[in-house]
Formats: sequence, structure tokens, C-alpha cells
Amino acid sequence: MLALCALVALGGACRKKGPSPNENVGESGMGEENLGRGSGSLDRAREGLAPGEGGPLQDVHFDYDSDDLDETARGVLDQNVQWLRDNPRARAELEGHCDSRGTIEYNVALGARRAKAVKDYLTGQGLAGERLSTISYGKELPLCHEETEECWARNRRVHSVVGGQ
Amino acid sequence: MRGPILLATMLIVALTALPVRAVVSVSIFGPGSQQFPIAIVPPKGDAALGQEFARVLSRDLELSGYFRVLDPRTFTEDPQTAGVTADTIDFAGWAAIGAQQLVKGTIESGAGTITLEVRMFDVAERRDVADSGRRLQGSRADLPRMAHRYADQLLAVLTGERGPFDSKIALTSTRGGRLKDVYVYTFDMATPARLTNERSITIAPAWRPDQRGVLFASYREHLPRLFEVDVASRGVVQFSNDSKTYLGGVWSPDGTQVLATREDDGNSDIELLDRWGNVTKRLTDHWAIDVSPAWAPDGQRFVFCSSRSGSPQIYTMPIAASEPVRVSRIGTYNTSPAWSPKGDLIAWATRTGNTFQIVVAGADGSHPRTITGAGSNEDPSWAPDGRYLVFSSSRGGGRTLWLTDRDGRTQKQLTPDGGDDTSPAWSSRSE
Repeated sequence: MLALCALVALGGACRKKGPSPNENVGESGMGEENLGRGSGSLDRAREGLAPGEGGPLQDVHFDYDSDDLDETARGVLDQNVQWLRDNPRARAELEGHCDSRGTIEYNVALGARRAKAVKDYLTGQGLAGERLSTISYGKELPLCHEETEECWARNRRVHSVVGGQ
Repeated sequence: MRGPILLATMLIVALTALPVRAVVSVSIFGPGSQQFPIAIVPPKGDAALGQEFARVLSRDLELSGYFRVLDPRTFTEDPQTAGVTADTIDFAGWAAIGAQQLVKGTIESGAGTITLEVRMFDVAERRDVADSGRRLQGSRADLPRMAHRYADQLLAVLTGERGPFDSKIALTSTRGGRLKDVYVYTFDMATPARLTNERSITIAPAWRPDQRGVLFASYREHLPRLFEVDVASRGVVQFSNDSKTYLGGVWSPDGTQVLATREDDGNSDIELLDRWGNVTKRLTDHWAIDVSPAWAPDGQRFVFCSSRSGSPQIYTMPIAASEPVRVSRIGTYNTSPAWSPKGDLIAWATRTGNTFQIVVAGADGSHPRTITGAGSNEDPSWAPDGRYLVFSSSRGGGRTLWLTDRDGRTQKQLTPDGGDDTSPAWSSRSE
């Protein structure tokens, strides 16, 4: 169990099965290394920069209030898988983002599901889970601010921040 | 900020021992249905302090929806020389400019203490209204609170229920072009005042019941965790454990427990934490999104948002139970619930087209009513009197905080344009 936790630690969480009423801080030390630190969208915001978009790993997009990966998204992720195979030392933090509609907390939860869906797809293609971490910014770091279908669609994304090369 | 020491020194004494006589019955009268024309004269004495008291009191009464505050420029007398007692007031003169009610009094300052005596007079009856007279004493910094306390008392006289204005609203905002920090707003402020300096994203601010701290989630350590800012010192301490990700938390009404939204491996559920941030119970365990818990005032039940039916809906659940009951029955997207401090009503935000509107329903979801319509309106939070709500609205362009009564009859902008003001959390009454 500990070894499994250590693997998932880069994802920032150690999945426990079922209710766990007596959790404590015994796992401190895990989740300390975060791949996105330094070049993630929040780091960019601190420098007054717009959130990251694209890069060596392409963004994937979602329908409203959905974390389903459609055919287009899976096609993009297949290219991302190939890039990560070609660059075996690279790691990625998967950032879940949402459009502006809906409440802040719900959208952070939704972005977490989007990032998890992408991570599950990548590991399902054989990539090692320890190369991937996830974080959700909900609707807090939008690429655009217009209340239009086009802008909403652009903001509903998982952006991948590459590190460790 | 005004700290707890100052609060303790503020004094309020009733000036009359007459039995309370409400002007109207609350059952036939709500905010916005009828507005009393009232003249608020700056109390006689220290002119600057009197002006500030009148300004804060006027805004509160205007916001309440029960009063139409007359423009002081229409007043015909000099407040520094005119009488302030029933036998010396020119009631005919006040009637001539349309005043039905009149607030008058005296204000004195000395040795760091302000002493204020005020009454509300009924112009037609030419006498002071029962239980409207108060002597208030406090420091210079207490003056806005004296006005709020008096506004709350006038609502008690008028409706039988104290007003909510001696209280605070926590919120998140990007005012000043910053990333989102925790701010606090009181009804005498021009703009919200910043509490935190996170250089990060903060979400879901919530008051500790003693009002000395605000719990919030912050991305300061990368993944979001719970922190608490001390309102007096502005010091921030981490509340939740290092290894867990939390999207928000709310203190129980008795201040002994916290309902928190935990995100774990892409899934969010509701947990019960003790006062030190340790998990005592996992309240929901579902593959769907469970977020935004809010306590019932009895501390035995809570309301939250879950997508377990396939779309975000509102559910209630006893702390001791394991299965929630859905209370929102209309709408495809219902979120951010808040339980009235009176226990009888729940408010939430519902999606209509591409905007959100505020819904108020019975605690079992019965008789839902949409009380907003202009712009997009989210994040309802109840006033301590259960009569008003604050919410964030886009109707002015950017997001600002607005006040409404629970029927939506009177809706007023609280914070000025220019800030992305979100997630308001109304405190209990200050004591």
C-alpha cells in the first residue's frame, strides 16, 4: 500500500478505498513534488501572464459540465502519448479548467475530474502514472473572458504543463 | 479592523422603559412593499461625527427596503440649533417636506469616548416612537457600529425583528488587480478591505462563529488546502492536513466542527472535520461531484450540491445519516446552497439559459421561487436575521455584491463596480 501511495503521490493524492474515518498526517512528505510548480498557469498568473495554452502537449477540450473525452480529445491525447514516449524523461502536470458558468467550488471539482480523466487515458495507453500529476483551477484562470460559446469552449480544457526534461 | 476589545466596550442602553409598540405588523409588511419617508438629522453636537452617524444610518435604512431616506438638502432647519425633544421639534415643518418619521439626537465626544443619544419620532403623532430611544457609547472606531446597531434597533421597532446591519461579509475579490484574496466588507465601507495576501487563488471564505477568523481554501502551497486568517492580526495558519486537497470548509454554528469539500484523485466528497482539521467522518462517498456544504442552524443537518443524479442538484442530509435527500426538483443545474439561520428556507443558484438566478425554497425544497432576474446571480448567503441575502451579481458588468430581501422585492448594489467580488459569506450578528 505504501509503495502504491508513493507512486500516486506525484498526483497530489493517495487514493484510499472506502470511508476512512481515522486518517491522520502519517503520509506527510508525500505530494511535496509538484511538476507544475514554476511554469503552471497559477505561476504565470503570479507573474501577470495569461494561463498557458498549447505547448509540446496539446490542450484537450470538453463539453459543458462534462469530463467525457470525445473522439477529438482522444485523438489529441494519442499525439500527447506519442510525444511523452519520445521524451521519456519529461513529466506533465495536467491542469483541469472550466468555463465561467457555474459556481467556483463546483467548477474546481469538475476541473479535477477532467484532469483525472486525462490522466486515466494516458496511463491506460501505458504511460507511467508517476510521470503525471493533476491539479484543478476550476474557472479561476480563464484564457478568455467573453461570455460567448467560443470563449466558453476554449476555457473548458485540460492544459498540460511539461517539466523534468 | 475593529477588534474584539473595542466591541466589548461599546454600550447600548434603552432610553425609555415603555412597552414595545411595533409601528406595523410584520405579517402584513415586508421590505419594499411600503417605504416610510424618514428624515435622518445628524445628531446635534460634534458635527463631523454626527454627519458620519447619519450617513451610515441612512444607508442601512435605505438598504433595508422599509424606508425612503429624505435628501438632507431639503431640510429647512439647522441641526446644530434646532430642538431635539418632542416639545421643541417643528413637526409641522417636517411634515411639510414629507417626513413621516424623524431621527434626532445628540452626539458628544471627549476623552476618546463618543456618547450618542438618539430617538425616532413619529411626525404625525408628534411624539417619539416607543423603544426607539437609545444611548450609545463607544470609542471613535465604534461610531459606524453604533449606527448599525441603531439601524438594527429601528427595524426591531418597526417589524419586531432586529436588522442585520451590525455584521460583516467575507468575500473573495480581485480588487486592485490582484489574484483572488479574502476581503471583508461592512455596511459603512465604500469598498471591501483586503484581509489576506496570498499571491495565489483563494476560494470559499467562511466565518468562524466568533467572527475572529475566516476559513478559506488557498492554492498557496500548490494544491488547495484549508487555511484560516485571524481578522485582527491577519495572520494565516494552515487548517487542513498537508496530504489532503480541500476546496472549501464551513464552521458549524457552535464552532466545534467543520464541513469540508475534499478532492481526492479527481473525486470530491463531503467530510466532517474536528476543530483542529482532522477528519472525524466521511459524510458522502460517491463517484459524482459533492461540493459546497452548508450547515442547518441546528448543527444536525447540512445541505450540499451533488451531481449524483447526472446534473448538479441540491440535497440535504442529517450528519448522523448516510443517504441524502434531493430537495431541488426544477432546473437542470442547481448549486451553492445556503440554509437560512431561521431554519425554514434554503437558497441556491439555478441555471436559466446562460445565466444563474437565486432561488429561495422551503427547507424541503417546497415552493421554490426565483427572486432575481437581471444579469447572472450566484452565491447566496443569508443575513443573520433570515430576512435578507447577499449574492454576487454580474448585472453591473463585473461581479459585485448585491443585497436582496428573501422575496426579491428590494435589490440593492452593495460593493461598487471595479472588483470581481464573489463568494460572499454573511457573518452572524456582532455581539
